Amino acid sequence: MIRRAQPLLGTLVEVTLASDENPQAFAAAFAEVALIHRLMSFHDGDSDVSRFNRTPVGTLIKVDAHTWEVLALADRIAVASDGCFNVACAPALVEWHYLPPPSPDAPRYVPKQRVYELGQKGLVRKTASSWIDLGGIAKGYAVDAAITALKRLGVSHACVNAGGDLRVIGEAPWYVAVRHPLRPGMPGASVSLRNEALATSGIYFTVTQLGQHGDVSPLVDGRSGRPVIAPRSASVLAPSCTLADALTKVVTACQGVQHPCLATFGATAFLI
Amino acid sequence: MTKPFHWVLVAAGTAASPAFATQYLSAEQAQALMFPEATAFRRQDLTLTTAQMQQVEKLAGVAARSVNWRVVAALKSDATIGYVVLDDVIGKFELISYAVGLNPDGSVRQVEILNYRESHGAEIRNPAWRRQFVGKRAQGGIAVGEGIANISGATLSCTHVTDGVRRIAAIGQAVLAR
Repeated sequence: MIRRAQPLLGTLVEVTLASDENPQAFAAAFAEVALIHRLMSFHDGDSDVSRFNRTPVGTLIKVDAHTWEVLALADRIAVASDGCFNVACAPALVEWHYLPPPSPDAPRYVPKQRVYELGQKGLVRKTASSWIDLGGIAKGYAVDAAITALKRLGVSHACVNAGGDLRVIGEAPWYVAVRHPLRPGMPGASVSLRNEALATSGIYFTVTQLGQHGDVSPLVDGRSGRPVIAPRSASVLAPSCTLADALTKVVTACQGVQHPCLATFGATAFLI
Repeated sequence: MTKPFHWVLVAAGTAASPAFATQYLSAEQAQALMFPEATAFRRQDLTLTTAQMQQVEKLAGVAARSVNWRVVAALKSDATIGYVVLDDVIGKFELISYAVGLNPDGSVRQVEILNYRESHGAEIRNPAWRRQFVGKRAQGGIAVGEGIANISGATLSCTHVTDGVRRIAAIGQAVLAR
């Protein structure tokens, strides 16, 4: 196995290949992740996300086809999850100091509110005063984009892992350790994967006390706008890492694996 | 529904300070990867002056942190075609060694992680413990257990590396650029 890692998407992105027979493979995979980072970063003022956040309500803006795809899927997951997942929860994350304010207007998060409408491919209209953050889905999407690039090069055995959200190519099993939420330096479960994705969400690295807000975490229950504080971590296995990443937010919000949207998207889940 | 998948709950062990670790590249491997056209590399460490430190802080928006920097010049027929700056950062749980490739104009060409070591015990702040991993050659293993090659979990932020790259980019611009 040959492994490389680069700092992208606010975390370490790791690519593992069975061999170095294709010298273009690492570069192609990291280039895809870097592209998604540039398009969907909350922090980069030139990203599609930042342009959306600064734009006035009612405006139609042009975004990259990748961003449009993510917004389309986010919309479907928001509806299917009864609002557990909502990319419009950025105002809460700004209020809890996890994200910097992208504009001075300080909108409030309104549970279940839809803040954009998709036009023809590449076009999106802002329909409510709000900020979006794709931090709960874009890491997964970036992993999928890297996997697609590797497949295009004929790579038949590989793993792309963006800070714990990962997807593998290959019929031979990949063994993955899932961190124990109470002892994150230890594996709490082990999973074998074949041509599928696994993502995990938990609060153990990021939960903090914040004055009047009490305990906060960067995982938001979209139905209430409250932070998820339950200690158990949620892992989702799905055909794509985009789905796995986003659906972990549904499982953490519900603290259960029974939500019907998991089956709708061909996913299964477990809590530790 | 997709096919059922296989997962096994693992009993938490009793080790005092369990750790995940991966070695990706040696400094030499990273240099060769970043500057494949180079014919030679020459160690050219930097000592920043007070004025340069201030300039770096102003450009980077983060503290310059160190006076001394490990720098390797990439050469092609005696001409400098770029630099590789080697650094380590310590987070809450992690020690990360990384290399930043800089173009002759000081712009960032490539960033590669060399070595990742995580600890949830006290030793992460212990200089002797940290020193043993600096500049270590890649061996391509991971200390998780036989056959386990990846970890899924809550996202660990790498703000320290991002700040470090910004700091090195500022050094490139303020001191190394031609």
